[in-house]
Amino acid sequence: MRFDIAVVGSGLSALIATRTLQRAGRKPVLIWPGLSSLYFLYATVDVLGYANPTTAEVVEEPISGVRQLIADHPEHPYARAGLPALQNGSSLLLDWLREAGFNWQGTLDRNLLLPTATGTPKPSCLVPTSMAAGDLHRNEPIVFCGFDGYQDFVPELAAANLSNGWNGGSRNVGAVRVPLPGVKPDRLFTSIDIARSMEDATFRRAVAERLRHAVKDDRARLGLPAVLGLTHDTDVHLEFEKETGHPVFEIPTVPPSVLGLRLFDRLRRHLQETGVEMIWAAPAHEAEVANGRCLRIHLKSAGREQPVEAKAYILALEDAVDGAWRAGAHTVRDPFFHQVLAQHATPGERTDESLFAAQPFAAIGYPVTDRLQPTDRDGRTLAANVFVAGGGIAGYDPTGIKARGGMAIATGYRAAQEAMAA
Amino acid sequence: MPDTSTGVVVIGGGSTGAGVLRDLAMRGIDAILVEKGDLASGTTGRSHGLLHSGGRYCVNDLAAAIECVEEGRILRRIARTTVEDTGGYFVSVSEEDEAWEPRFVEGCQKAGITCERLSVEEARRREPALSTQVRTVFWVPEDGHLDPFYLVVGNVESARRRGAQVRTYTEVVGFTRNGNRVSGVLTRDAMTGEETSIGCQAVINATGAWSGFVARLLDVEVKVVPVKGVMVILSQRLAHAAINRCHKPGDGDIVVPGLSVAILGTTAVKVPHPEVLPIEWDEVQMLIDEGAKMLDGVTTARAMRAYAGVRPLYDLGAEAEGREMSRNFAVIDHEERDGIAGFTSIVGGKVTTYRLMAERVTDLVARRLGVSTKSTTAEVPLNDREDELDQLRHRPAQVGVPKPHGEELALQPLLCECEMVRPQDVEPWMKDPAVRTLEDVRRRTRSGMGPCQAAICSYRLAGRLVTDRGVDGRTATRAMADFLETRWRGVRHVFWGSQLRQAQVTTGVHLELFNVDRQLQLEGDDPRRAGLYTVPVEVEAVGQP
Repeated sequence: MRFDIAVVGSGLSALIATRTLQRAGRKPVLIWPGLSSLYFLYATVDVLGYANPTTAEVVEEPISGVRQLIADHPEHPYARAGLPALQNGSSLLLDWLREAGFNWQGTLDRNLLLPTATGTPKPSCLVPTSMAAGDLHRNEPIVFCGFDGYQDFVPELAAANLSNGWNGGSRNVGAVRVPLPGVKPDRLFTSIDIARSMEDATFRRAVAERLRHAVKDDRARLGLPAVLGLTHDTDVHLEFEKETGHPVFEIPTVPPSVLGLRLFDRLRRHLQETGVEMIWAAPAHEAEVANGRCLRIHLKSAGREQPVEAKAYILALEDAVDGAWRAGAHTVRDPFFHQVLAQHATPGERTDESLFAAQPFAAIGYPVTDRLQPTDRDGRTLAANVFVAGGGIAGYDPTGIKARGGMAIATGYRAAQEAMAA
Repeated sequence: MPDTSTGVVVIGGGSTGAGVLRDLAMRGIDAILVEKGDLASGTTGRSHGLLHSGGRYCVNDLAAAIECVEEGRILRRIARTTVEDTGGYFVSVSEEDEAWEPRFVEGCQKAGITCERLSVEEARRREPALSTQVRTVFWVPEDGHLDPFYLVVGNVESARRRGAQVRTYTEVVGFTRNGNRVSGVLTRDAMTGEETSIGCQAVINATGAWSGFVARLLDVEVKVVPVKGVMVILSQRLAHAAINRCHKPGDGDIVVPGLSVAILGTTAVKVPHPEVLPIEWDEVQMLIDEGAKMLDGVTTARAMRAYAGVRPLYDLGAEAEGREMSRNFAVIDHEERDGIAGFTSIVGGKVTTYRLMAERVTDLVARRLGVSTKSTTAEVPLNDREDELDQLRHRPAQVGVPKPHGEELALQPLLCECEMVRPQDVEPWMKDPAVRTLEDVRRRTRSGMGPCQAAICSYRLAGRLVTDRGVDGRTATRAMADFLETRWRGVRHVFWGSQLRQAQVTTGVHLELFNVDRQLQLEGDDPRRAGLYTVPVEVEAVGQP
């Protein structure tokens, strides 16, 4: 199989790279390794929430924060990608979301502060409009709303944490819980089940009716788990606000995440409908290199190996989640060039003692050139026509600084630009 | 005047203490069990769960082997829901192993252990994962798997139904004496620091590896040698039956299948203190290498976590060290030995023989108290009726199973999908004052013990702390974080392969979607938090605007 440019990966960086190539009139092929774990990791596009993993102070303006980060850390993946890649990539994403039927908002100039399912404020930059009313810069009281028998959002926990200090405390935060119409609480139901049911107007109005009775304060905003529709979410959100008579905002829940499902299923479908070729559930590995260029990579498809040839390749892997690395007890290797990416005397060295600290394993990846080409440990480029985006880059750890979306966009966009120039 | 009074205070909430509490209660003797941590949080809950047929001890320690045979048969009657009748194999993988065989066969005969030689072909037909290195195989039908948590909880709940009390997180810090007679204990709550005195006629020291520390409070010496054992849990069961190496008991020579996992055991290293149990990489590596000699798939299965426990080996004064030491037990009558009346220690032994140990020490104490009732613990099942403890092995049926054809049974909501724990399995423990942390809930329900290591159920459990127990938000969140941190400590030792992927999902949910790392940073270490776990209070409605 021969293609123009091959993009490998299932994360946001892979999607952005593919879309960038498509908009530039190129013919990318998107190779998905398997079921995407994006469903777990994404709800919003966080660009920069905190200046470093241990500071508590929120970054107010993400774009200035990233500019400062780049100045302070010239090796950081944001610095490698460059500020224009973040800016152009973000515009491209927002345009794309609009075209694909999403209603998103936000700018790089300002972080919103949104309550999570534990009631913890969290800075986010670009968000679905269905989440925006949760912004804690606003003053209206908040009532968290849950459903009997539904365990993946506990309004009482969110309320108890948020009331601890925010805007006058418990006077302004409350929790209610209502039974879902026609749902027996001893029957298993998930976020996806509820989201699907919410697209049914009769069901949705009955939920709205119950919440209207349960919430006493007319000024309150309602914080719900993200269950407002699977495919018609924009309409469901608008209708539900009218039906309850309150501003309503969604909150991401434990997997399965409806927000992730909506986003990636629809963007993927949009790429397909606009003519981008895709290869499904075929993990890629094994780059054949000659004269400093990658000639082809191989896909593990059912029954046999399938070679893929392209002018350039983008490895846009979400590190561990995409199963990108081969981690033995001591050595972590990449599956394309068989490079040793990290060596450890014991596997425990890959982790911090605390789960809530920066994890050394998260930063494992390829050293890259200024053009995002992978290199060996001595800085020699492995293949001039291969570019790395997302978690495959060494030092890529968006978790502590809350920058997963922004780093994916910036590196994905930049890798696409470089691939086109290759 | 003591704050409260009882007949006997039992110190130690492991299998022995729990067994003693039940035995006392069944003889009609008032008793309170005090445990400085949670039930089964010391040696018992950190065992590998092998219900010994006795085959492992029959050559070197015949007396211990005979006890295992008898007690194994009793446990199959009285604790049938905590025992899985897996059977076991003793396999040889080297010439040295084969030299051990005649002694093993002879030992089995002497101890009365049923043992049958199988051809390797027949053994592999039954147990396809047996490694190609296996040369000879013996089938020992009375090896089994014992759920140590359910065993302890079953004994304690049985005693509670008969009026006994249990106090967890309650450490004995001193004794009250009346001349040479012990008249009570002073306890301190490990979380609140609150001190309480309990008056009693007798104290039984069932603290295993901690026996020496308790005895020292009375200036009495009990020599117990703490010997560490490390184990690795694989996320797959690999075998139907327990697999033992047929040789002189050594490191890394058992694989115990339990429910959906397999446990590789174990090591034996003397440690200076029963709570200093470092897990060394060499030990983990050795367990996997040795396990792979007996079973295929050990190296490729996903190792989920490693953990360490401590054996309470009683020093009989011999020169023996570690594994050479007897796994037998002893009742120490301190009245006779040290002139201190009303104080008795039960030391040594192992989980398989916990009931017999309890019976022996209770016999002595009951006699001293003038109670002539005999022990009935060998006859009456742990769950005197068909109650919640029966559910462990029937969970899949209760949870609902979709049928491929025809009608689908309604699936019930699960609190922990990995271990199939339902919300109603957790509910009663949220109201139990003996349960204070989410680890305590785990020990009683298995939630958080599966492949995701509490990534999902920790949130749901934190929510229940707020809704069912009236705990405040920051304490509930801290409890969730503590639970995940405890799981993480075991995960870190086997961090390769798909473990990285799982960890990224866990951090993605808790650090990215929830931002819990920032909440912990902002709050710092709140010294009040521990105390807030303690007493369940009426659920207060969260203030509504």
